[in-house]
Amino acid sequence: MTGRIVVTGIGTVTSIGTGWREFWANLLAGKSGISRIESFNPSRYPCHNGGEVKGFDASRHVRNLDASQLGRASQLAIAAAWLAVDDAGLDLSAIPPDRAGVSVGTTSGEPVLIEQLNDRIVANQADQVGAEFLGQYPCHVIAAHVAEECGLGGVNLSIPCACAAGNYAMSHAFDTLRAGRASVMLAGGSDAFSRITFTGFSRLGAVAPERVQPFDKNRKGMIPGEGAAMLVLEPLEQALERGARIYAEVASYGLSCDAHHMTAAHPEGDGAARAMGMALREAGLAPTDVSYISAHGTGTPTNDRLETIAVKRVFGDGAAAVPISSAKSMLGHTMGAASAIESAICALAVHHDRIPPTINFETPDPECELDCVPNAARETRVDVAMNNAYAFGGNNSTLLLKKCVH
Amino acid sequence: MSRRVVITGAGLVSALGDSSESLFAALCEGRRAHAPIQGIDTSGLKSRTGAAIQGFVEKTYLGVKNMRPYDRTARLVLAAARLASDSATLTIDDLKQREAGLVLGTMFCSVRTIAEFDRRAITAGVEYASVMDFANTVINAAAGQTAIWYGLRGLNATICGGLASGLQALGYAADMIRLGRSSLIYAGGGEEFSFEGLLGFERAGWLSTEAECPVPFDSRRDGMVLGEGAALLVLEDSDSAAARGAVVKGEILGHATGFDRSRGKDVQTGAAALERCIRGAMAEARVEPASIGLVSVSANGSTTSDQAEALAIGAALNSRAAAVPVMAVKAALGEPVGAGGALQTIAAIEAMRQGSVPGITGLAETGDSFPLGAVSAFTGPLQASTALITSQGLDGNCCALIVRGT
Repeated sequence: MTGRIVVTGIGTVTSIGTGWREFWANLLAGKSGISRIESFNPSRYPCHNGGEVKGFDASRHVRNLDASQLGRASQLAIAAAWLAVDDAGLDLSAIPPDRAGVSVGTTSGEPVLIEQLNDRIVANQADQVGAEFLGQYPCHVIAAHVAEECGLGGVNLSIPCACAAGNYAMSHAFDTLRAGRASVMLAGGSDAFSRITFTGFSRLGAVAPERVQPFDKNRKGMIPGEGAAMLVLEPLEQALERGARIYAEVASYGLSCDAHHMTAAHPEGDGAARAMGMALREAGLAPTDVSYISAHGTGTPTNDRLETIAVKRVFGDGAAAVPISSAKSMLGHTMGAASAIESAICALAVHHDRIPPTINFETPDPECELDCVPNAARETRVDVAMNNAYAFGGNNSTLLLKKCVH
Repeated sequence: MSRRVVITGAGLVSALGDSSESLFAALCEGRRAHAPIQGIDTSGLKSRTGAAIQGFVEKTYLGVKNMRPYDRTARLVLAAARLASDSATLTIDDLKQREAGLVLGTMFCSVRTIAEFDRRAITAGVEYASVMDFANTVINAAAGQTAIWYGLRGLNATICGGLASGLQALGYAADMIRLGRSSLIYAGGGEEFSFEGLLGFERAGWLSTEAECPVPFDSRRDGMVLGEGAALLVLEDSDSAAARGAVVKGEILGHATGFDRSRGKDVQTGAAALERCIRGAMAEARVEPASIGLVSVSANGSTTSDQAEALAIGAALNSRAAAVPVMAVKAALGEPVGAGGALQTIAAIEAMRQGSVPGITGLAETGDSFPLGAVSAFTGPLQASTALITSQGLDGNCCALIVRGT
C-alpha cells in the first residue's frame, strides 16, 4: 500500500466549458454559467435560474452506445470520460479490460427518468413505460454505461453519497489502485439538472434568485446546476513509463459523518474538521502546507458560516492566510458532480499554479473571515490543494492533491 | 492491507425472519416468502406475487418514536442496525467513540420517496412537496438516517452496483478496515419493495410470470420474484475485536469485483467476468478450490444470469464444482435486491456454524451439463469452514467474496 497514485487525464462537461481547457480558462476569467432554466418550465418556482449545460449534444461524445437510450447523467459522464481518456493519451486497448475500472459519484442518478415516469403516471399512460426505465434509471447504470461505452471490465461502482459523492468516488479509485485491484481508474461524478432537485431546494428556501455569492455577507443561497467530471487515475510508475503528463498526485483523503442532521451541517463543524484532519494526518502534512482550499461554498447563509467555523477549527490562526474559493459561484451546485469537478480544479490548480476566484463577492461577512479569492484569479505556487465537500446525510469529505515530485 | 477483517455481529430483517437463526431455520424447512402483493397498486401490472416482509412493525426494533421522517428502506435498515448492534454487543456510546462507519448497498434506496415527492409537486403544486421528504430523496438517505440514529460518525458510503450492490458493499467495507481507515463498520444493504422497482423489473422482463417457475438453476425457471429486506454485518479489525473481547463469528478473507461488458446480454462474457472475480477473491484469500466448502449464490431464477453464475463457479472451482454444496437463499426470499449479498453471507455463516446446507426449494431439474453437481432441493449435512459468496448482477456488476466461518 505504498503505491503512489497520480492524475493523468481530466475531462469536464460544465456550464462554462467542455474539456478542461475551455473550462479552466473560463473559470480563471470568472465566467458565470448561471442562466434561466430551459430544461423545464420554471415559472411555478419562485426563482428561475440554474446552472444548466446548454447546447450539450450527447451524440457528439457517445461513440459506441446509442445516446438516445441513455439518461442525461450517463451522457454527461460518458462525455467527460472520453475527454479524460483522450486527455490522458490513454490507449485503453493496451490495458487488460478487467484491470480498468470506473467509479462515479452522483447525488440523484438519473432523476429525469423518475420525472418522465411520473408524467406518464399522472397522464394515465403508465402502460407506456417499457424496459428503458430499469435500463436507464437505477444510479449504478452511470458507471455501467461508462464501462460499456469505453469497454472497461474492472471494478465498477456508482457511489451516491449526495454532494460529497465525487470525493467518495475519487477516494474509492485511489484505494482501489493502491490495493492493486486495478491498473487504471476513471473516477469522477455526474448529475443532470432535475426538477426534483430544483423543487427540493426551492422548498428548503435555499435557492438564490439571480446569482451565487459564496462568503458574501448578502449571499442569498445556492443555485442547482449540472455537469460531470471524470479523471484518469493510475500508479505513478505506470504514468512515468508511458510518458504521461501528470497533473497532480493524490495525497490522501478523509471521510466522516456528522451523524447530526440530514440536511444541516454540524453547528461546530465537527465532521468537516475531522475529515480535514484525517486527510492531513494520512498525508503527513500540516495545515500550513496547504496552498489552496476548494470550498464546498454553496452560497447558502448556513453552509458558508459553518464551513468557515470548520476551516478555522483545523487551520486555527492561519485560516485567513489560506486562499479558499468556491467554483459554485460560477457553476452553481452541480450536486454529485461538484466535488469531482472541484477535484479537477484542484488538479489544475496544482498543475498550473493558478487559483480560480469566488465571483460575485461584494461585501465581506464577519462570520466568513477567510480569503475567498474575491473576483479575480490568482497566480501563486500551489503545492497542496484541499478539496472539501459536504452533503445531505451529514457526509463530509476531504481530498488532498499535491504536486508530484519524482 | 495487513489487517484481518472479522465479523462480530449480524442483524437482519427479512421476509423469513429477523435473525440469522430464524432465517436459517426457514431456509432449512423449505419455506418460501412468496405471497400476493399487498399495499401497492398493481392494477397496471401483471405481477401478483412478491416476497415482501409481511407485518413489519418497526417499534419492535426501534421503540415508540415518530417514524414519519423515515421511509421504509430507512426503517428496514434502522431495524437491521439495531439487531446488528445487539448481536455484536455494541452500544451507541461504543459506536460514537470508535467513529464507526456504515457502508450500505442498495439499488433503488429512496426511489419511492423520490417519486412521491415529485408526483406531489406536479399534481398538488410545488408548495405542497414536503421539505422533510426532500431530505430523504437523496439515495444515501437510509445511510444518513442510520448514522444519525446510532451515532455512526465514520465514513458513510452508499454503494450502487445493481443486484451486486450488497456484496460490493461488504468488499468496500472490508478494504476500508484492511487499509486501517476504520476499525468498525456496519456493512450490508437494504431495499424496500417498491412500486417503481416492481414496475421496472416487470417491464424489463426480469420477473417470473404468474404461476411459473422462479426457482434458481431450475431448467424451467423464467424469472425472479421481487423481495425486500435489510441486512448488516458488523466488521472489525481483528485486534480491535480481540481487545474488546468480541465473539468472532466469521472472517472476510478476500473479495474481488468486476464488470460484464456485455451487461448480461452474453452468458459467456458474463460468466467470464464472475469467474475472474472468484479467482481474484480466492487468490486474495489464499484458498484453493478444494478448500471451498460451500457456495452461497445470488441465483434468483433469472434465465441468463443464473446460467452465467453457474458457469463461472464451475470454471473457477474446476473439479471441485461437481461436489461443492450450494445454497441459493433467493429460492426462498425472492430477490431482496440491495440486501441480497449480506443475506447470502449471513446465511452461509449460519450454515457453516450449524453444519447443514439448506436445499434450493422447488428445484426439480437442472438440465444437462449443469456444472454444479451437488445442488439439491433438500437440506443436507454440511462440513465447511470456508464459503464462497457470489453475486452475478443482471446487467454487468459482479462480485465474489470468501468468508471463513467459526
